[in-house]
Amino acid sequence: MHTGLSEWSGRLAALAEFEPPPDGWDAIQAARRLRAAGESRRWPIAIAATVLAAVAGLAWQLQSTQRELTSGNSLAADPAIVAGDTVRAENARLEMLLAALPEMRVMRGSTAFTVSQLEDRLAFVDDRLSRITLEPHAPEHAERLWRERIELMNSLVQVRYADVASPL
Amino acid sequence: MPRIADVSIPESVTLAARQGDEQALETVYRATAAPLYTLLRRLVRRPAIAEELLQETFVDVLEHIGAFEGRSPLTAWIRSIAVNRALMYLRSPWHRSLEWLDADPGRMEDLQSESPAAARSSEPGLDRALMRLPAIARAVVWLHDVEGYTHAEIGTALGRTPSFSKTQLARAHARLRDLLAGAETIKEGTSCTPA
Repeated sequence: MHTGLSEWSGRLAALAEFEPPPDGWDAIQAARRLRAAGESRRWPIAIAATVLAAVAGLAWQLQSTQRELTSGNSLAADPAIVAGDTVRAENARLEMLLAALPEMRVMRGSTAFTVSQLEDRLAFVDDRLSRITLEPHAPEHAERLWRERIELMNSLVQVRYADVASPL
Repeated sequence: MPRIADVSIPESVTLAARQGDEQALETVYRATAAPLYTLLRRLVRRPAIAEELLQETFVDVLEHIGAFEGRSPLTAWIRSIAVNRALMYLRSPWHRSLEWLDADPGRMEDLQSESPAAARSSEPGLDRALMRLPAIARAVVWLHDVEGYTHAEIGTALGRTPSFSKTQLARAHARLRDLLAGAETIKEGTSCTPA
């Protein structure tokens, strides 16, 4: 039976609703207080973020030689020349490259540490991106964050690639 | 099932909420929580993650309600925050590792049996088939078919192109058809089994 677009819409919209948690409003108020308390610790977080960015930069530098060697499948992206949709397209390409790399069950301690730092930093950028629409000058800030995300993804792909290319 | 965009918030409540009135904000929460939670459950599947995203969405609403300019309905603004948060989660390394765990067929069954909505659904087969789609495909289907997003809007939200959204939707519909046809075959086979 062929199912047309509007029929899919009707059938999917008719599916049952999920019940939200009964104490949701209280939990939101508690989370709001927690977040407000966290704001007063913003400076230490900013310092930690700077350190993480430095680690990401270092990882990127360390892997640049390897990137040159694999220039046939260049992963490099010059943030200065990437703009608008191109930024998102590059991000999508790096996501695909990362997904295509096999999961290593065992990796060097130093590699695991770098991967973990990069993933933490990515999570931080993603969190910022998820709130960006609420801020003034959102498009400019989003653009900057997307570029930062590309650099981090680039580093992550490089580190993972090096790990796959020379296993323990 | 009402979509969040179908929820009507009286103008007076919206106005009071914009001024930070706690009671009005709670009224907005109570009016939108169920459709918003349903949207999040369809996008991220895991109840605990959906609850956390619902919570974070409303903390954002409480903190930034002053920035809401009223050019679009309040519900559309809240939905955009929730969708943005859910899609960022789906892109995260944390989610990728959970998806790897979910690749275990036993775990997939657990997740499906956790859904009382599937049991209450008019089409439990469709409910189960939808939840078996990969996360991004499921998000595209739900945002397009139920929430009424355009391919351009989905592409932007996912950091991809409109063509990516179109392709994902066509493939997801085909996969849903296959899954439903498979379920139908099993049902027919079962009915032929002597009691």
